[in-house]
Amino acid sequence: MASKRDAKRVRPALTLSKEDLEVEVPEPRLNWMNQWREWGVRVKPGPKGLTLGSLNVGIYGEIPTQWLDRSRNPRGAIGATGTPPVAIQLRDKVDLWAPCAADLYEEAIQRRWAPATDVDWSQLHPLPDDIERAICQVCTELCQYAIIDVELITSWQHQMAYGYHEVKQFLATTSLDATRRHEAFRKRALSNGGGLGYEGPCQVSRLLLESRGGWTETVTGLVLIRGLFTQVMIRYLNRFAYSGVERKIYECVTQDLARLLTYGLEHLKFALAHAPDKLGSIASTLFIGFRSLSRDLRDPVLREALAIIFGGGIAGARTEGMYVVYEMLDEFAAEFMQASKYLRLPVTEEQLPTILRKDTRKMPGDE
Amino acid sequence: MAKFPSVAWFDAVRDIYNTDDELRGAGSGTCNCTLGVQVGREFFQLTFEGFECSAAEKITKGKLDDCDFYLHMPAKDWRTMLSNIRQNGHATYNQTLNTLDLDRPEGLSTSTHNDQYREDMFFRYNQTLQFFFNASARINTTY
Repeated sequence: MASKRDAKRVRPALTLSKEDLEVEVPEPRLNWMNQWREWGVRVKPGPKGLTLGSLNVGIYGEIPTQWLDRSRNPRGAIGATGTPPVAIQLRDKVDLWAPCAADLYEEAIQRRWAPATDVDWSQLHPLPDDIERAICQVCTELCQYAIIDVELITSWQHQMAYGYHEVKQFLATTSLDATRRHEAFRKRALSNGGGLGYEGPCQVSRLLLESRGGWTETVTGLVLIRGLFTQVMIRYLNRFAYSGVERKIYECVTQDLARLLTYGLEHLKFALAHAPDKLGSIASTLFIGFRSLSRDLRDPVLREALAIIFGGGIAGARTEGMYVVYEMLDEFAAEFMQASKYLRLPVTEEQLPTILRKDTRKMPGDE
Repeated sequence: MAKFPSVAWFDAVRDIYNTDDELRGAGSGTCNCTLGVQVGREFFQLTFEGFECSAAEKITKGKLDDCDFYLHMPAKDWRTMLSNIRQNGHATYNQTLNTLDLDRPEGLSTSTHNDQYREDMFFRYNQTLQFFFNASARINTTY
């Protein structure tokens, strides 16, 4: 019921001319007003506020295993009839769902950061030329990874059914995270006397962008290969950061990437639990993905730049620096094996590419 | 002055962490997890809810099962980390949670349940956890 205060908000009556008053205005039908699938819903904020997930009550919380409606009808609303179908490819829950998507969305919104103001850029200080060049080269490749993430995720989003809005909303935050990543690394490269370096070899990027078969398979490459590798690399860069600026960026990016990895792992877990036949395509994607990653890693540019950063310059790159690069690859292999175990993927260490195995690893330039 | 490790020490850090707005933005923000802390043979549980660390309690080893993940180090390594924080106002270089997790052969963060969704909260909330331990720079710690 409207209160007196509400009544004051009503726009004052217009002063109409005689001609205006003669215009015939049809009586409002208001027949839409009693059309609701469920009315009287009063979701109350919980300890975490009024969260997206808490709205899943009554019919609004019914998340079907298949979304048959090929429109942009929000879940729980009454669909319009006669609407031309929208080209939505992903209409099965198993193809995109992760139970944690709504929580991750809230987390992404609440834990946001801004490179322009949350990073204390005044902490930057001049670095030896070799180290600055190496940092800028790594920033260039990280910018590139971020651009690919944006392009990839957004190219799939419009193909996802609106019935699974939690996933679509969370993925929107991952696109923003990736653009922020691009922004932060570009700013670092261009703020300390350096600039952008070489574009990386992009084998994994091409694989991801050309992955048109299914979102689950795309997530496999995006998360288990590109995402996990980037996460481990960022953690090592954090460990060897040269200023508070880099440390802050790496810390925040670690968190952003961790949310994407969590979504990916939980989606793959859900998909494998509800459609075990997906195991074959996931395994094939991993096989092709690792082959692409091997080619990328055989390119010396990223490897040498990382070794210079980890080794404190060109002099230390060949010994200490390259040793840490190998250690980083070992850590990535260990993280991948742990994730595979969690997902119960039939992968053994012997199946990993030689570049990721201590016993077989040979890199160009190795003696 | 508070002795580490003890509930009184964690409560003293909580008081600082819960009242400093600067520790809530810039990639930190709300945090919802149950963190275990193993210091040698002593065990503690910290509860993070929203913007606060709402509780600290001493627990038995068996109660680590209830924690989303836990940080484990011998008492001397905790002391090294906290001394570094006290000296610098925040953890530096090889004493950040990230670096300790990478450098230690057995890692820093783990769980009893191997549920990766819960274990990965260490990475998702890393900034908050670092801010929390950094807040210990503002109290006098005895061992």
